[in-house]
Amino acid sequence: MQKTNDYFKTIIKCIGFGSLILTTNVIADGLTIDKVYHPYVQPLERELEFRWLHYDDDKTNSNHVYRLGIGQSFTTNWFVEAYVISQNNADDSGIEAYELEAKWQLTEQGEYNADWGLLFEIEKETKQSIWEAATTLLIEREWDRLVGTANLALAFETGDNIDTELETSLAMQLRYRYSRALEPALEFYMSENTLGLGPVLMGEQRFETRKKLHWELGIIAGLSDETPDATLRALAEFEF
Amino acid sequence: MINKFNRIIFLFSLWVTCPGLVLAAPEFKIEIKNHLFFPSELTVPADTKVKLRIFNHDATNEEFESYDMNREKVIMGNSQTVIFIGPLKPGDYEFFGEFYPKTAQGKIHVE
Repeated sequence: MQKTNDYFKTIIKCIGFGSLILTTNVIADGLTIDKVYHPYVQPLERELEFRWLHYDDDKTNSNHVYRLGIGQSFTTNWFVEAYVISQNNADDSGIEAYELEAKWQLTEQGEYNADWGLLFEIEKETKQSIWEAATTLLIEREWDRLVGTANLALAFETGDNIDTELETSLAMQLRYRYSRALEPALEFYMSENTLGLGPVLMGEQRFETRKKLHWELGIIAGLSDETPDATLRALAEFEF
Repeated sequence: MINKFNRIIFLFSLWVTCPGLVLAAPEFKIEIKNHLFFPSELTVPADTKVKLRIFNHDATNEEFESYDMNREKVIMGNSQTVIFIGPLKPGDYEFFGEFYPKTAQGKIHVE
């Protein structure tokens, strides 16, 4: 057990050091406003997830991105989810990509000064030869009713329709645990072409045993010329 | 602009990744039998991180859940788990069993 703890501590130190290097130069393509992941996994967890993103840009005017996922935990600290992603704008519509992600909870919640997890993602675009693989470091820390979360992502893109490149991005959330039904938060997103900040409301509605609906609704204001002036995002997760 | 934010994020990362002083947390035991928590009320010290070791003696799964303490964790049947809570301010913090919420209820007194 002691060996396992030492092993995790070493991993955490390496990841922490890596994140320090990563955050000194955050670069990434495209809009990276999405959602902020938390580093926790529950055994027996199963969920359906729907996400919607809306923004206007100069090229295609109104853009809608839809994401539908189904997920399941397989052990006490691994959770796997598969997504279908579609986009709808003036130029294009239909299924855009498939994605598979696996979340690994590294530390017990509350054991250390911050909680740690890793997210692994692989995405294949359907209309172009583009593959993307990403690893994201998930960090969360509590200060009484305030909870801070940071996601630091390192992504690798390759394929016939894209230059092979390495990208980084950052998402952060500061959430106030006001009540189970309503929690206000502030989210911040940063990458090469994204710099955004805005308020998000979220909450949870419980039904029968082990059935609950988690929702999020936010508007992220663009803080740079490349970022859309306003990005609306919504999420609904049904756990069962 | 980006450089300024990079500096903020760098400092945040430095602070979060600094190894905290991890002291041995005092340990308390809670047992689940027949979909009830024993003891159902527990007193723990204020401003101290506490380790709860929870034994589920039932054959069925249970989930320790508390919005007050921001914790939820499934305990499989006939097994045990550890949950870290706190440091908490003095007061009462409720918890319940998500699988059997009508019977499995409890409270942590922090003083």
